[in-house]
Amino acid sequence: MSKRLECAIPLNRVEGDLELKVAVENGRVVDSWSSGTMFRGFERIMVGRGALDGLVITPRICGICSMTHLTAAVNALDCIAGIVPPANAIRLRNVALMVETIQSDIRQSLLMYLVDFANPIFADHAWYEQAVARYQAMQGSRCIGAIKETKRLLEIVALIGGQWPHTSFMVPGGVVYAPPINDLQKSLQLLKGFKRWYEQTVLGCSLARWQAITSVAELDEWLNEQETHRSSDVGFLLSAGRAIGLDRLGIGHAHFLSYGAFNIPEGSLVVGSTGQLVASGFAVGQEVGSFDQRHIAEQVAYSWYADQTPGGLHPMEGVTTPVASGAEGNKYSWVKAPRYAGQAAETGPLAERVVARDPLFLDLLQCDQGASSLTRQLARLIRATHLFAAAEQWLNEMIAHQAMPYYLPVPPLLNGEGVGLTQAARGALGHWVKIREGRITHYQIITPTAWNGSPRDEQGVRGAWEQALIGTPLADPDDPVLAGMVVRSFDPCLVCSVHVIGGGRRRLMA
Amino acid sequence: MNLYWIQSGGCGGDTMSFLNVEAPNLLGLFAELNLELLWHPSLSTLSPKQRLTLTDDLLAGTRPLDILVVEGAILRGPASTGMYDTYQGKPKKDLIAKLAHQARYVVALGTCAAYGGLGVDAYVQATGLQFLRQNPGGLLGSEFRSRSGLPVINLAGCPCHPDVLAGTLTALIADIALPLDNFHRPLAWYGMLVHQGCTRNEYHEYRIEEEDFGQKGCLFFHKGCHGPLVGGPCNKLLWNRRSSKTRAGVPCFGCTNPDFPMDYPFFETRHIENIPITLPNGINRAHYLVYKTMAAAAAPDRLKRRETEI
Repeated sequence: MSKRLECAIPLNRVEGDLELKVAVENGRVVDSWSSGTMFRGFERIMVGRGALDGLVITPRICGICSMTHLTAAVNALDCIAGIVPPANAIRLRNVALMVETIQSDIRQSLLMYLVDFANPIFADHAWYEQAVARYQAMQGSRCIGAIKETKRLLEIVALIGGQWPHTSFMVPGGVVYAPPINDLQKSLQLLKGFKRWYEQTVLGCSLARWQAITSVAELDEWLNEQETHRSSDVGFLLSAGRAIGLDRLGIGHAHFLSYGAFNIPEGSLVVGSTGQLVASGFAVGQEVGSFDQRHIAEQVAYSWYADQTPGGLHPMEGVTTPVASGAEGNKYSWVKAPRYAGQAAETGPLAERVVARDPLFLDLLQCDQGASSLTRQLARLIRATHLFAAAEQWLNEMIAHQAMPYYLPVPPLLNGEGVGLTQAARGALGHWVKIREGRITHYQIITPTAWNGSPRDEQGVRGAWEQALIGTPLADPDDPVLAGMVVRSFDPCLVCSVHVIGGGRRRLMA
Repeated sequence: MNLYWIQSGGCGGDTMSFLNVEAPNLLGLFAELNLELLWHPSLSTLSPKQRLTLTDDLLAGTRPLDILVVEGAILRGPASTGMYDTYQGKPKKDLIAKLAHQARYVVALGTCAAYGGLGVDAYVQATGLQFLRQNPGGLLGSEFRSRSGLPVINLAGCPCHPDVLAGTLTALIADIALPLDNFHRPLAWYGMLVHQGCTRNEYHEYRIEEEDFGQKGCLFFHKGCHGPLVGGPCNKLLWNRRSSKTRAGVPCFGCTNPDFPMDYPFFETRHIENIPITLPNGINRAHYLVYKTMAAAAAPDRLKRRETEI
């Protein structure tokens, strides 16, 4: 009767590739194992290098969120230097990071996520033709728009830091140079131009109209209100996503983690809790508690690393000792298993919304009985609505206070320990660094995908998307569209997932 | 023609960079060149099975492969097994080698694919396609030639500038020769120095040096800038249409060089008697010392006062 079938699913359209192994009964996933199958060894590369070298090496861990690694690296060094950078430096860093985050959200949503709705298996749906016209790979009108507009938006990072990706303009004490005022004005124009496109195309309404939505009932009202709402990318995602049941799939552990991001500098008019625009916190269901990085530990019971202390190690003490790949007992991934106070957690834009106690998203969790893939992707697509105003404000504040410093001299960093935390596009990112006599002696990184794509822990508890996959229909193992959409709603970034960095390829057979 | 894009031990940054191409955009470029994208890991929608069939057809030669783009280093570890990076349970390095032998042209996109880049250590054993750092060989061996008779074309940079890939694809499709340097980089883009076009040149010329961040002067003498030392079009093409690292005050880290990342610290210049150990290509140390001493003496006040904009 219930025939159990196990199959391997290599998944593309994530940063790096990923291999899932799933067990299927009666056409639904009943168990899953997520395998990151590439080991790049970044943390080992860092040891012995110069104190500032993390600013050059770690952005190169990830081509889509290199600015986030730069931010985490510089936060750790500021911490070692014991310095708070000048307000303008914080503003400039924040604006650059926001730009990267917004481009990532848009590229992932339009080029890697919505494209699945153009799969022929959905040909019977009324919206199918529209999906093809808009999102078909390399052809859809919205794909072209997304490429054009994100490219333009990234010009801001070039004006600020010289290039994107892989700049290193943040240094302990601030930033390397004060951008000329006309470059700041140009950045503001580019940002506003992007915002106009975002309102017209992604939202189909003004930011103010969108921000007025505080419940699922109001969201439905918005959807019914007018055609521009329905035909926007957000409108399409909601209607088509519900039509294929994404609002009932991908329910995970419902533990949400945010390290917080975008420090608010002294004298700024931008408002936020915990001293940051994006708040830090750890939520179990809708219960939001405070966050303390000391509660993080990484376990390797199911990861291809030498076994260690039960309960795992805090990243300041963590080690990365790979064991030869293959089928060593239970081990199946190069990704370690980070846990917060012993618990698995998901991180990303949805976690940010939950930790911020956003009424719309708390209501969505209630209605969907958990964090569905649709809600997760919606949080990503609308995250920019929470960033535009602050980015504009900070650019204006820099323009008004251009003569104020962007850098405070910092003596050479000789000894110390530092923690650098931030929120990447994909969620919580941390760097833990030790320096002795001007050289790096310890570097451990926990990436968002290490949280989301974690393998099992010592207790056998699944990682976030392993758990989210349970219950997903899987009709055709050769074209697992819905399973892919569940995992992609976490925006996996396998190139940096392996703690030690590694990305994803491959396999594991049933 | 068609193109198959494969990623190995890399960060995906060359793909992200290529999305910024101005031609007028990525999709427009493919249409203009009538170039069929068979597979790209981030952009394609083939199902896993369709991809496998495609790859098998290319390997069997039943479907011709025109251009193979490899992004990321080839990982040979642990202990030369290649199991740090696998496809279908087999080392990716073997798949890449087989595809390279089927392809008319092979392009190593980015410094990792060209020379190994990050991860060249005893452990991960990363290598480039036809070089390991400065040494010919790499995965395919120095004698390797693709079906066109060309060696692997190395488009160095971390990341590679998108216009360089666009220009290379355009030349290959138009059958225009691309003269290469000793490290198999097209001279059109790597036959110039990153320094050329830097807006801080005036400060460099008169040896107005910065010892700390935040100023307008030259970063070569103290802050580890490799602009005068390495080839690349950063300050000619500019990044994202707007600027470059050196213009924005970030030292050039020499990412187009086969030995990037260098094993000495970034952000500082190594000296002998107050003159950088590494001097611009072809310059005699004694002459350089005299030239820079005179240049510093001749420096106008407007530069000493950092009045000249950059």
